[in-house]
Amino acid sequence: MTAILQPGFWVFILTMSGIYGIFTLGLQVQYGVGGILNFGHVGMMALSSYTMAILVIAHGFNFWIAAASGVAVAALGGAFLGLTTLRLRGDYFSIVSIAFSEIVRYVIFNSDGLTGGAQGSLAIMPIGDAYPSYTDTWDTILYWIRDHLTPIFGEIADRDMAMGILVWITLGILLFIVSRVERTSWARVLRATREDDDVPSALGKNVFRFRLQAVIIGSIIGGIAGIYWALQVTLLSPDDFLTIVTFYAWMILILSGATKVKGLAIAAIFFGFLYGGTRFFTFWPFSFFDSSQRSYMRIMIIGIVLIVLMIRRPQGIFGKREEMVLE
Amino acid sequence: MNNLILEVNDVAVAFGGIKAVNGATMSVEVGSVTSVIGPNGAGKTTLFNLISGATKPDSGTILFQGFEIQKLLPHKIAGRGIVRTFQGAKVIKRLSVLENLMLGAQNNPGDNLINFFNPRARNAFEKQARDHAMALLKQVGIERFANDYAGILSGGQRKLLDLARALMAEPVMLLLDEPFAGVNPTLVEKLLEVLHALRTEHHLTFLLVEHDLETVMNISDRVVVMAEGQVIADGLPNSIYENQAVVDAYLGTRKLK
Repeated sequence: MTAILQPGFWVFILTMSGIYGIFTLGLQVQYGVGGILNFGHVGMMALSSYTMAILVIAHGFNFWIAAASGVAVAALGGAFLGLTTLRLRGDYFSIVSIAFSEIVRYVIFNSDGLTGGAQGSLAIMPIGDAYPSYTDTWDTILYWIRDHLTPIFGEIADRDMAMGILVWITLGILLFIVSRVERTSWARVLRATREDDDVPSALGKNVFRFRLQAVIIGSIIGGIAGIYWALQVTLLSPDDFLTIVTFYAWMILILSGATKVKGLAIAAIFFGFLYGGTRFFTFWPFSFFDSSQRSYMRIMIIGIVLIVLMIRRPQGIFGKREEMVLE
Repeated sequence: MNNLILEVNDVAVAFGGIKAVNGATMSVEVGSVTSVIGPNGAGKTTLFNLISGATKPDSGTILFQGFEIQKLLPHKIAGRGIVRTFQGAKVIKRLSVLENLMLGAQNNPGDNLINFFNPRARNAFEKQARDHAMALLKQVGIERFANDYAGILSGGQRKLLDLARALMAEPVMLLLDEPFAGVNPTLVEKLLEVLHALRTEHHLTFLLVEHDLETVMNISDRVVVMAEGQVIADGLPNSIYENQAVVDAYLGTRKLK
């Protein structure tokens, strides 16, 4: 029960919320605007984080170049997924997208020489004799920020707090940019395509192009989340990129209301508390379960929240009911 | 002198084993109103889908302003100036009426993501398009719904929206699929008025699919009759009544005043 009182724990929760928020924002562009049901979003996070880690550890790349390459590979992953399967209608795309992210994960899992396989990034062969780490450059920044926070927050200020601040600044910037993008006529065409393809194409819009762009932009944002993920966990493992991660993001998206970005940050925090907070469910009736069983409670609780939401408020906490109900 | 804007030559398409359009040949003159009539299942809407590119023909050619368009994607055909409305009127229900119209704006810089970084060009175009859209909504008489979701419109209002949206796309030729079906008489008047104005002021060419024979005969320069995927008659409205094949296939013994 002591952890609940530790500020560090809550900083951790907020940081994870922020990373999930960034990750979910990618889905928001795809689904909230374009109606594209992507269940393989986590694959983009896996591509960017592993690309970055491999380039830094095994090839000695500058961190920033490696991170940019990671995001670029995620964008390429999105382009590949889109070009090959986006012509499939709705549900079929969703099914293929799950397969895509699972293929990415299995390839990572089985490519021992390249990715470290099941042992994760710890087993990536480093260039020279260095300890296999990709966080050095980032840590320098984090410690610099920490040193400037210490006068304000005292002992509480640490590396994790600096990380949390950077994550949330990034999320803020991305939310701002995306909300601006969603006011353009580009987004208007995409919104039309989530209902119907014939009308926009009869008006001269290349529906495929718009969809492909939405998937690529979503993948870039997912890729950025992947870089932050890698920096936060410091050691990557293929198990970080299970399909359930995509569904956590879906939960955040549904919670916030898919069509608007404004609720996303709050929904992400809500999710973070639910996700991290269940370990404190030591009271009755949860006291019947041991701690490992309790960790599964969160998945149940998330399920219950989603069901209640679907019944009581299908448009999400911040969504517009009219926009959903008009069928 | 060739003043044909559209030439459909021996076009055929089959869905499964059914030949929806089976060797149809027809043409449309610049600035004319041409109506396609025929019994249900004659292939009229399929012909429209072929011209607008939604369906690709198995054989035959379609020429628009002398260019072959039968292999082009729908948005390319729309870009050339053939804009269609839909049977029963398709509106994007979860966009506002105004936004529906704005979809029709051609060459919108804001459609290109690169121009996200050029808000000046985007906003200037957007403002201009909005004014044009409002003027069109006024013309068809549904401007009071501009900011409502299109999903709340009635069937007839949706037709007006569908038409206004097509006009927004600056068509050279308008394909109207049953524009008068299920529309009350006063609204039909209104639509006819709009069409007439467009024809005289903007020299648009019209191709219609329509069942209301009286309206068809009144407004058409030329009538094309289809049955079982083929064009069985093509001529001036009055000549259609005298064509025995048309009487057998479509008109029956019914006589018009």
